[in-house]
Amino acid sequence: MALVQIDELDRELITLLSRDARVSNRKVASELGVTEGTVRGRIKRLQQDGLIAFTAITSFNTIDRSRLAFISVQADVQRVREIAREIADMPLINAVMITMGQFNILALCLFDELDYLIELASDRILAIAGVQHIETSIAVKTLKYNARMARITARAIQEDDEEAA
Amino acid sequence: MTQSIPLDAIDRKIIEHLRTHGRASNQQIAELLGLTATTVSSRIRRMEEANQLRVVAVSDFSAHGFNCLMRVMVEVDGRPASQVAAALAEFPEVFATHLVTGRYDIDMLVALHGLEDLPGLLLDKFSQVDGIRALVPSVVVDIVKYQFDVAPIEAKS
Repeated sequence: MALVQIDELDRELITLLSRDARVSNRKVASELGVTEGTVRGRIKRLQQDGLIAFTAITSFNTIDRSRLAFISVQADVQRVREIAREIADMPLINAVMITMGQFNILALCLFDELDYLIELASDRILAIAGVQHIETSIAVKTLKYNARMARITARAIQEDDEEAA
Repeated sequence: MTQSIPLDAIDRKIIEHLRTHGRASNQQIAELLGLTATTVSSRIRRMEEANQLRVVAVSDFSAHGFNCLMRVMVEVDGRPASQVAAALAEFPEVFATHLVTGRYDIDMLVALHGLEDLPGLLLDKFSQVDGIRALVPSVVVDIVKYQFDVAPIEAKS
């Protein structure tokens, strides 16, 4: 992983925008004691470097698919990257990580009906060549989840927006 | 707890646009959807006040110096799993804690600056929490996909 160079001002900017991204550059500038141009330039650089992205987060009761499942996969070690990619391309899958340990892939899925989950896990993921075993567990309670931190992918990066205000 | 409000098709279109363009101006969104900027602004405010929407900057793990992610599954014994999970969620390194069905009772995601932080975290912190029979850590070696825009929303302070 590339070493990231960010300074104290970047950190303050990230903290401020992680509370509300729709504040004006002017307001951010006056709160941090810098010029609007500095704020604009810093935001642009952080976006270009893939360190921040601006997005909408909705609560579980806002969307239809409001249940979270953890699908743990034991996959053929030689094909683990391909298998992980294949799972990631499935529509209901929100996250896929390659891990070392008892399971070598963790897939997270937001679903609504149990039928969907069963179809996805048993009919689709288990059917992939090289998948030996899966274990599915359903989150019954979320005690903590920090959505302000993530892996930012190219898809999420948008640079052409004007400030919100 | 705040009562959730029903969202209509226009609300959903506004949310969809904000997912990828969180800092688009009210005017830009209004033009795209054939609305007025005032309508866009008041609908966003209404959803925010009901704690159903936040428009935020999401930062990469690496921006916080976290270069190592771990999944830790926990088997609980002799103490309610929700109490153990609440105690584990107190550690700042833990950024996701879920009570789950199945072989393990708790599934966590943990962010570390590096692997050298692992022994201290597992032996001096997690292991000291009462009610844990087994900790099963696995290091995340690659993140193939990470799309999380649904989360519990805390009330605005």
